[in-house]
Amino acid sequence: MEPSQLTRFEAAVLPHLDAAYTLARYLLRDEHDAEDVVQEAYLRALNYFDGFRGAGPVEGRSWLLTIVRNTAYTLRANRRPDAHATEFDETLHSGGSEDEHPETELLRAADRETVQRALDALPVEFREVIVLRELQDLSYKEIAEVAGIPVGTVMSRLARARRRLERAIGAATKERD
Amino acid sequence: MKHDDFAAQLDAYGDGELMGNEAREMERHLRECAACARAHERQRVLRATMRAQLPALTAPRELRSRVRLALRAAAGVTPARPRPEWRWLAAAAVLVGIVVGTWKITDSRDAANAVVDEVLASHVRALMGTHLTDVASTDQHTVKPWFNGRLDFSPPVYDFAGLGYPLIGGRLDYVAGGPVAALAYGRRQHVIDVFLWPTQRGSTGGPPAVTRQGYHMLHWSAPDYTYWVVSDLGVTELGEFSRLLRQADSTAAR
Repeated sequence: MEPSQLTRFEAAVLPHLDAAYTLARYLLRDEHDAEDVVQEAYLRALNYFDGFRGAGPVEGRSWLLTIVRNTAYTLRANRRPDAHATEFDETLHSGGSEDEHPETELLRAADRETVQRALDALPVEFREVIVLRELQDLSYKEIAEVAGIPVGTVMSRLARARRRLERAIGAATKERD
Repeated sequence: MKHDDFAAQLDAYGDGELMGNEAREMERHLRECAACARAHERQRVLRATMRAQLPALTAPRELRSRVRLALRAAAGVTPARPRPEWRWLAAAAVLVGIVVGTWKITDSRDAANAVVDEVLASHVRALMGTHLTDVASTDQHTVKPWFNGRLDFSPPVYDFAGLGYPLIGGRLDYVAGGPVAALAYGRRQHVIDVFLWPTQRGSTGGPPAVTRQGYHMLHWSAPDYTYWVVSDLGVTELGEFSRLLRQADSTAAR
């Protein structure tokens, strides 16, 4: 590869290293795995770079995050086939139904640890839409592209993920007080 | 639209994803429907709490250099690394030394730095090319005998697969003015290179830990062998691996 092309590649994707790391870290919940996945994703991205036609830095971000997300899923599938099973199954752990809502004040009073734990406990497909939306400010269209799902699914998944977060955060904050 | 339709679109409205008419209809509905207005307020607070309590993360500095180095290697672009001018100086010094007869060419610190450079260069070359191993095997009883007749010592080769550091293989290398054994171990996608030669040969100096270009190097001299361990693995895990090596060596010596 020509040095100038590598420079072009780096200019398109290196600014998004923090975003890539954030996504990988929340998807995998392990810093070593996150670092490995980010490095692997950048190498994959380099291979696909010829096929990438987006010019602006914003397109570069969704494109890179898509690769990070897929690399993280591959690692999960290969290494920890049981990961899904060990994740918090809310239907077992919470008696609350979809119609019950916590007090808004409980959500306002939540501390960092509570919020972090509630997010970590979400199944990965809910966690990723929340991270992409709340931490990385992606639009529904961009999230759809990164997660490989229709925009309508982004909307319903975000809504369900938030109801779960509300209940988990509300319950934890109530217990604390 | 019915109440349920509005309720289903509340998140999209809060995320700024409803446009024109849809947004206006939602606003009208929120003025009329107390339940939706409460849900909307709850979502607004949740969103604010999430954003306040969960900042986006910053990638570790080490990761940035690791990624850049890996990209350069993969793209076949040679890392921009200054040529070590001292080599030429040392070569000139050798000539001068021969003429004058009594000059000490390099002090021990320069020699140790030279070993650091050589070890790192060898590791990076091995990763960039296809020549990571001359003998590729996860079996220590295959790798160790391979060195017979190729080295004037029989390097200790261990199997740490059970501890997460599987053996990848071995190769001959040339470091510190002599042939050395280079053993490759794995850790997830990382490669750890272990360079060793008999301590009695010399060139035992060097810093116990040094980081260059995103690679970590650990070094120690035991009574039998002088070791250099190099990898892009995190320094904590590399330290753990080195402790395993030392333990195995002292167990074998007993």
